[in-house]
Amino acid sequence: MITRRELAAGAAGIALVTAGTREAAAQDRTGVTDNVLKIGVLGSLTGVQAVFGQGNLSGVQIVFDEVNAAGGIHGRRLEIASVDDESTPARSIAGFRRLVDDERVFAVIGPSASAIGQAMEPTLRAASAVPVLISIFSSPAATEPYKNNVFRTGPLNDRLQGKALADFALDVLHGQKVALAQQTDEYGRRGGQSLTEQMRARSKPLVATEVFNLTDTDFTAQLLRMKQAEPDVIVIYGFPAPAATITRQARQLGLTAKIIGSNATSNRTYPATVGPAAVGVMNVITLADLPERPTDPRMQAYVQKFTARFPDLARQNRPDLGDCLGYNGAMVFAEGLRKAGRDLSREGFIRAMESISNFETGVGLPTTFGPNRREGNLQARVLEFQPDLTRKLIEQRLQAQP
Amino acid sequence: MFGQILVSGITAGAVYALVALGFVVLHRGTRVVHFGLGDQMTMSAYLVVIAQVFLDAPFAVAILFSLVLSAGFGVAIERGVMRPLRRAPLLVMVIATLAIGAALREGLRASMGPLPWPVPFLLTPAPFTLGGLVLVPANLAVVGVALAVMLSLFVALRFTRFGRAIVAVYENPTGAAIVGISVPSVHARLWGLSSVLAAIAGILVAPLITLSPDMGTIGIKGFAAAILGGFNSLPGAIAGGILLGIAETAAGVYVSTAMKDIISYALLIGCVLLLPQGLFGRAEPRKV
Repeated sequence: MITRRELAAGAAGIALVTAGTREAAAQDRTGVTDNVLKIGVLGSLTGVQAVFGQGNLSGVQIVFDEVNAAGGIHGRRLEIASVDDESTPARSIAGFRRLVDDERVFAVIGPSASAIGQAMEPTLRAASAVPVLISIFSSPAATEPYKNNVFRTGPLNDRLQGKALADFALDVLHGQKVALAQQTDEYGRRGGQSLTEQMRARSKPLVATEVFNLTDTDFTAQLLRMKQAEPDVIVIYGFPAPAATITRQARQLGLTAKIIGSNATSNRTYPATVGPAAVGVMNVITLADLPERPTDPRMQAYVQKFTARFPDLARQNRPDLGDCLGYNGAMVFAEGLRKAGRDLSREGFIRAMESISNFETGVGLPTTFGPNRREGNLQARVLEFQPDLTRKLIEQRLQAQP
Repeated sequence: MFGQILVSGITAGAVYALVALGFVVLHRGTRVVHFGLGDQMTMSAYLVVIAQVFLDAPFAVAILFSLVLSAGFGVAIERGVMRPLRRAPLLVMVIATLAIGAALREGLRASMGPLPWPVPFLLTPAPFTLGGLVLVPANLAVVGVALAVMLSLFVALRFTRFGRAIVAVYENPTGAAIVGISVPSVHARLWGLSSVLAAIAGILVAPLITLSPDMGTIGIKGFAAAILGGFNSLPGAIAGGILLGIAETAAGVYVSTAMKDIISYALLIGCVLLLPQGLFGRAEPRKV
């Protein structure tokens, strides 16, 4: 027979174990030692998406080197464990598991490309204890559906960007007949679908929608069909190589509509790649300043640091969009660590990230997270290419509603 | 509109045709299908950029620089990879070409960056109108050069000692060896020649289709064009390329842009099933 005293002792024991478990969960200190903090960096360093992974890693290296030179954060040196996913989703999933299970990292920065991020969504969701920061790719899959452990800042989510682009085409460009050319992959499909829905919601359905593959080299068919609809604004949602050729061929075939490209086409050499047909063309860009002609001292300082640290990449007209976004993301990550304090745990870091508000690096656009907000950036700027093929930031911005 | 479809289709097709020529020239003599040829195109276009941007060479010198290095690279592949593999099964050689392509692509990505580079046009990209058709000098140059290259090849193969040795190896390698032609040396020339053809194609099309490390994926279209025309026929390579270009553009305009690749490859499969030797190729009986 169980006595009252034994029952009370048992109940107290269970309460103690439960509380202890809760405490242990709140105190997940994987990857943390007294003087070192191990962070995983996952991205495409080789393969077709390499530009984004290299940007992700270079940004982390610059910021972490600087932090370590100043004594670390709260006395801990930041150590990087880097994995190249070779632009393949399967390798990215395996790479993430390796960082989390074998390397025992505290958090992961990456992956870096939309096509990879989309495929990794279930993996990121399953690893609910591991803080993840996305700073380059824009697929909504990173934060939709909501994941407590996954934060993104830098790019503008494609669903939000598509909507904001539709509003920009109607309200700023005053488009009456808007046409869309969208890439057939995850990137183009998500952005294009969102833009289409927003145009319909505003009672101005698209007059033409054409699709293209990333590796296509001739777009005459798409443009001849589009020309029949006589658009006054053409939105291109795709990567730089096909978008540049579409722009050039559109002008050659006599399409005079205003052309605006999505964020992926905002690389530095884009107008020169397009050639004279680029004059007057616009691009969305999610940077605060231009790396080729910086006016903000913080962007100037970043460009100097990048050039000194990566002279080989600097010869390739970099830092470019992906590099800048990678640096911006790493700065936000370091800010989260500072706010989390010396008594560092994964839960504490997530709470600290949630407290970041209007954080500006001078390179990316301001970051604000919150208890239920995982998209740090909700705006984008717009470039217009000048007659000398330089890029100019215009005043009007894209503003997304969460 | 049909006229414009023809003009654009022929332009796109001329690009495929140039690549297809490279495939056919090499395959006829060596039996090897060089799947790295598209990436060699890319490399040659990058060599022009390197000469211009990093060595400050004038455009003409940069082109010459690229053609010479590309030819040398082709010969080096033969000497360094294919000759040691000459007794290996054909499949091994084909896999080696895939590896060469991948190494070139990733090497360019690492050294020149993953983003597109601007490349100067051989002729102006500004269009003009003729009889209601929009024509672009830069595109016309591709068509013109494709035809000129084919004509030069025809003359070289028929009237020069160099060409006649190649034709002899095409027709009967054993017989050619018996009469004193060095077959390995002809193979090296064929690798050099196909590399120069790829270089010409790369330099011409890079400004039109945007130079990036992945530009070589167009090689697969050249391969399809070569099959369509007949893998052992040089005029077939040109015709196959032009036909594929027109079919793609027409399918995109009249059916759906999402379906254009599906339709053009369905055409290819149909051709392989009904005419296995291609439109211009001839069946080659083999003794077993």
